[in-house]
Amino acid sequence: MSAETESGAPVFCAAHMLDSWDERHPQVAFAELATADAPVRPDGTLVVAARQEVTEFLRHPAVRATDGVHFNLGGKRPLIPLDLDGDAHRKYRGLLDPLFTPKRVAWLEPVIRARTNALIDAFADAGSADLMASLCGPLPTYLFIELLGLPATDLPVFLEFKEAVVRPVGATVEEQQANMRAAGDRMYDYLTTVLTQRRAEPPREDLIGGFLTTELDGERLTDQEIVDICYLLVIAGLDTVTSSLSCLLAWFAEHPDERRQVVADPGRLPRVIEELMRFESPVPLGHRWVTEDIDIRGRHFPAGSMVEVLWAAANADPNAFEDPLTVDFARPHNAHIGFAAGPHRCLGSNLARLELRLAVEEFLRRIPDFEITTGEQVVYTNYGVRAAIRLPVTFPVARG
Amino acid sequence: MRVTVDQSRCQGHALCTMHAPELFDLDGEGHAVVVADPVPGGLDQAAYDAEAGCPEEAITAEPRRPARTGQARS
Repeated sequence: MSAETESGAPVFCAAHMLDSWDERHPQVAFAELATADAPVRPDGTLVVAARQEVTEFLRHPAVRATDGVHFNLGGKRPLIPLDLDGDAHRKYRGLLDPLFTPKRVAWLEPVIRARTNALIDAFADAGSADLMASLCGPLPTYLFIELLGLPATDLPVFLEFKEAVVRPVGATVEEQQANMRAAGDRMYDYLTTVLTQRRAEPPREDLIGGFLTTELDGERLTDQEIVDICYLLVIAGLDTVTSSLSCLLAWFAEHPDERRQVVADPGRLPRVIEELMRFESPVPLGHRWVTEDIDIRGRHFPAGSMVEVLWAAANADPNAFEDPLTVDFARPHNAHIGFAAGPHRCLGSNLARLELRLAVEEFLRRIPDFEITTGEQVVYTNYGVRAAIRLPVTFPVARG
Repeated sequence: MRVTVDQSRCQGHALCTMHAPELFDLDGEGHAVVVADPVPGGLDQAAYDAEAGCPEEAITAEPRRPARTGQARS
């Protein structure tokens, strides 16, 4: 799905092509695109960036997640439910949505708090840490393994897979895609083996146990369907939360006044996190395919075109958000689409919010005072998912 | 005052339950449902915030909010 520039380097996002592009502060370029007239990538790909256009575009029934040929993120087959549309998509979302409501994921709260604290314990006495390596990276993967019901010793399998798919290695698009596919093959094999073992055991209460016993239209899910669902959950559940958490902690490291407000009143965190998800938009974009000629807000989208939909630009649109480049914890209403929008809106958003809120709350409780280590700076990537891939912080060590 | 949710538009963002927890809850699939109809006194502003804060424009609060000037509508 990546395009190439004349130099052969992959183009990930229209905003990267702008003079205003800044890896540390991408919001400026996104805001520019949100107010541009009918933005287009250099390779001709149409870009939807204005907040209102995103809503109306995604609502159109001719706008689909795939064209049936191109699948997301190195999948060999359509990812369930991301690469499905219409009735088939609704069927699987009807099965999966109930498993990810706030009430259904609430049982994880003590697990999240305990795992966060265990990770903090490992560096709390050192007075410094790289929070990506020590906390943001491992935490969501540990939690995801618990959610699925897999052994914690399999952590490296997931960490390796996540990295290979989200930040594929390779000098060319072809090489990157080949490496992604190879990692995908390994994950399919791993999950198939796990399912075979689990079928031979008594049913358990975890997510895989749920998949093995649930019925869809009176029929059990096949192994193939479960593997396809798990494959997507692995991709969607690991790097996105890692990246989001790193963006939040990096922001707090560099904004001590705002951080103190939250430390003093952690009850504000739900709204604070929504505002930071709007501002940081860690998942910046998605792709959609148009199946027939359509017009949205006076703009023509021809049948067969692939469209780049920029959640991050919509979230910085000054026509939708007053003063969008300012983080405002008191923003009275915040119709952000940091978890995307339309029928494919993030299935795991309630789980992600829970993880982010509890991890930030526990971190700020343990280490209320921290800053970017002198002489260092936060290093962001904005390819694939926005993340603070290097997040070196220093903090006073608590005595007693 | 009343609030309604267009179920054909709701995608389960759940932001309404944050803006106005007294007025909205989520059903078993995570979609918004109205739990206070009509809107109890004193919650008009919460209802308007939930309406303006819905990413899918699925929420309608009636009567309409009085027109205001000088503020971006999200």
